[in-house]
Amino acid sequence: MTEWFDLNPDEERAVAAFMSRVANLRIPDSVSRIADPAALWNKAKLIQRWDAERRALRPLDIMQPIEIAGGLVAAGLLLYWSLPYLLRSL
Amino acid sequence: MGRVDEATFAAFHARSAPALRAYVYRVVGNSADTDDIVQEAFLRMLRANVRVDDEEHWRRYLYRVASNLIVDRWRQRKVEQGTEMKQDPASIEPDHENDAAVAQIFSELKPRERALLWLAYVEGESHAEIGASLGVGRRGVRVLLFRARRRLRDLLEARGILVNR
Repeated sequence: MTEWFDLNPDEERAVAAFMSRVANLRIPDSVSRIADPAALWNKAKLIQRWDAERRALRPLDIMQPIEIAGGLVAAGLLLYWSLPYLLRSL
Repeated sequence: MGRVDEATFAAFHARSAPALRAYVYRVVGNSADTDDIVQEAFLRMLRANVRVDDEEHWRRYLYRVASNLIVDRWRQRKVEQGTEMKQDPASIEPDHENDAAVAQIFSELKPRERALLWLAYVEGESHAEIGASLGVGRRGVRVLLFRARRRLRDLLEARGILVNR
């Protein structure tokens, strides 16, 4: 339990009594529109699956631009090396 | 130690949702935000894959997430509208006149003050536990709680509810 160090006993009693009344205030029924646990469970599992898929695909997403860049560099080098032969054959 | 299964979660939800809902509603003061925050807190708890053997840890996690969501929403509203979250009429005008006055006084505190007072008095948490729930250090909780209680005392005095000084 919390240790108090400031208010005098009367003030402390009044604050505690007030908070006990706050705790007992009625919560309107409209606040019970929360999804049931089964729906929450399914939604969480679905999101977890999406997260797992995203994690699994991340290496592919990272590698794709690297592969394209590598291919372009290789094509450029091939063209550079073969250019003299191509020009000679024309 | 295993992961939580659906039946365990359903039982935990049944035990903890009403208290969490009451906490969020009293701090936020409107039904729509309360529903969103409670649902999001449970979802985040499930996604975090908390271990099955420590229900107190779940509860603490749930309150911490809910408290963070409350603060985020409060800041977002302040930026968007330059105002704090709107209170439902139902939250400040309950069944009878005295309850209405109690709800009105409590709603005049800042959301963080309401959260601190609720966790300390209604949930009966220690400074360390409140700190864990709100992401504040133990010493910080002591100071913030002192200010919240002083502010509440001033409000009670101003309304003539606290006269025994």
